[in-house]
Amino acid sequence: MSTEAIPLPFQDGQDPRTRAAAARALDPRSLRAVFMDLIGRPPRQSEVGEWLGRGRGELLDELLGGEEFWGHWWHEQLYYFLLIDNFRPRTRAAKEVPERLAQGRLHYRDALHQAALTPTFDLRNPGADTFVTVVMEQFCGLVVQDKASELEIGKVAYEGGKGRFLGTTAENQADVIRICVEHREASRHFLAREHQRLLRVELDSKQLRADAGRLHRDPWAYLAVVREWLLSEAYDQRLRDLVPKSNTLFVRCLFVDLLDRLPEDDELEPLRNALDGLADSRPLRSVVVRLLLDSGRAAVPRKQDIPDPTRWVAAQFPRFLGRDATDEELGVFVSAFHEEGCEPGTILYALLSHSEYQSY
Amino acid sequence: MLPTASLDRRTLLRASTLLGAGAALPSSLLAGAMAPLRPDRKTKRVVLVAFAGGVRTRETFGTPANVPNMRQMADEGVLYTNVATSNLGHFGATMSIFTGISEPRGIRENARGNDPTLFEYLRKGLDLPKQDVWVTTTGGAQQVNYSYSLHPEYGARYGANILDGDGIFNKEFKDMLSAWGMPQPVEPGERALLDRLRRGVGGGEDAAREAEQLARVEDYILGELSRGTTDISGAAAGDRKALRLARNLLSLFKPRMLGVVLQNADVAHGSFNAYSEVVRQNDAAIGELMTAIREDEELRDSTAVLVVPEFGRDRDLNSRRGLDHGDGSEDLRRVSCVAWGPDFKRGVETGRDQRVIDVVGTVCELFGAEAPLAKGGRLQGLYA
Repeated sequence: MSTEAIPLPFQDGQDPRTRAAAARALDPRSLRAVFMDLIGRPPRQSEVGEWLGRGRGELLDELLGGEEFWGHWWHEQLYYFLLIDNFRPRTRAAKEVPERLAQGRLHYRDALHQAALTPTFDLRNPGADTFVTVVMEQFCGLVVQDKASELEIGKVAYEGGKGRFLGTTAENQADVIRICVEHREASRHFLAREHQRLLRVELDSKQLRADAGRLHRDPWAYLAVVREWLLSEAYDQRLRDLVPKSNTLFVRCLFVDLLDRLPEDDELEPLRNALDGLADSRPLRSVVVRLLLDSGRAAVPRKQDIPDPTRWVAAQFPRFLGRDATDEELGVFVSAFHEEGCEPGTILYALLSHSEYQSY
Repeated sequence: MLPTASLDRRTLLRASTLLGAGAALPSSLLAGAMAPLRPDRKTKRVVLVAFAGGVRTRETFGTPANVPNMRQMADEGVLYTNVATSNLGHFGATMSIFTGISEPRGIRENARGNDPTLFEYLRKGLDLPKQDVWVTTTGGAQQVNYSYSLHPEYGARYGANILDGDGIFNKEFKDMLSAWGMPQPVEPGERALLDRLRRGVGGGEDAAREAEQLARVEDYILGELSRGTTDISGAAAGDRKALRLARNLLSLFKPRMLGVVLQNADVAHGSFNAYSEVVRQNDAAIGELMTAIREDEELRDSTAVLVVPEFGRDRDLNSRRGLDHGDGSEDLRRVSCVAWGPDFKRGVETGRDQRVIDVVGTVCELFGAEAPLAKGGRLQGLYA
């Protein structure tokens, strides 16, 4: 059967056939949010044109499981383990993790196992007590104070002794890691925190039990589980509620929105560290916005090159906030635009340093 | 609203410049007349240093040569030598100093707690503005969680300002600002325009007021970046930055409550000698803070300072000639706490049983606030 399209006998805009709207059609806000949740950045302008109005399921097909998805996922996992800055794994194997995940040569559990085997994980968690405590807590979600005897056995194994640790024989540090990574509780704990990360709410206990059981039996099922979550009513609700951007996401968004590129590691890390250094990072986020706007590297048009200020101002709201400006907002901004001393950069600075841009 | 420091942005910028030049700041420039919160007390401000990272008494008051400044504080105040702690990991144990509740927390947990902190008790109970409660830290992302809890009756609206010295004032960030071009403070005319625009994007007057508060912090950070804090390096650099920031904040904002959270002593896992050096360096930085207090006529007779570790360290060296924290020994579970201030006894050393979670109740009592959910008591025998 030929797949060549047959020309339709209608002029543009006069096709009388019923067209069904795409299921969960993407508007500017949900499009930005899905991009940010899955690959940690907003869509580029070209991608906005490509995806607006299409279905969320289609976008998931495109993004889930790709190298950019896994790169973002890996970055989030390293941050969870606080393997950042000096503790960021720099081995070749660690750098190749996203690529190998995307190629289906690793599943998520292998990747987490690899994170715990990096030299920097050991450096980050020095000594038997800290190390065993951290793997029990971070992989299995155990409250170590309630598992004092397991901790002691784990410490003995860490030092090279033999013991039955969490139900399995362990006799070295590698065994301690493997037992925790492969433990049934690790599947449950991983999914619970992934659901919190992506949907910002706890997964109900019945669903968590079912999903965790499935994942424990088949670690390759992770992407299918995430796809189901992102097509659920719970995710519909999450998209209706604005949630705060992490500092990492804020920096990545700002770079893409203003420079049309992602920050390099040596740009992202100092900015994120600085922002992480404040309980309320908004004052410093403003500084970072000005840093980019004033750098001359952002494509900010000159005032005299904007022939239609109303149209230009109106376009900035969906571009940065994922929504149209109200008439009142447009009035205030356009009026300000015409004042002496107001430059296009001033308009952008007001929007990008506004609390609404801090959420998505 | 209680009388408190109130700065407009222009004054703040002027003050920042003076501070950068090392000038002594006239109190009248920065702080309005501030009364004690309890008429029967002289204390108007409290500095609480969580000497966290795991510090044994053996290397502090057990080796006076390491800590001449804290020793002097003890000679002029009260030293508690038998303060019980719980080995809850650094994050949980330090959190317990601020909540007054010993509760397990993951060592690498990066989330807020459910129990209100000292800062929330003070801000809510005494109606203190945010600029009156500051915390400086050195432990990065995790430690900003000390700012406030998730408790529904407290939370973010009563949180402290937190600055992590090593996160913000590090060479990489400063280099990046230099390479991209250090942003200049916004001119007054542009600021007015921005305020109008921000007011125009929902939020109204509240958003504009909040933006003004944030702008003050923004200006402070820009000013601090041009001072020497960024250039501190070497042993305990992170801790010394936190203490330097505390000193500058105390001089500039004169907040009611200033917390400092240290962390670098944890190098002990790998090296006892490096750990001992951190103790010495931190004592020297605490000495600088004390000097700033003693030399400021507004601060010297109105500021109380408490220093307390979150827990100690193991009794014996590990195989790397370092010290871990997990043996359950007295060295780990008992620490020393020093309290210095105008309302406290002088030259008293006591071995009575206390707990690190008693600090919250003590500070609240000093200010006349309540800590209804804290489970600790008070430091006994403290007042003159």
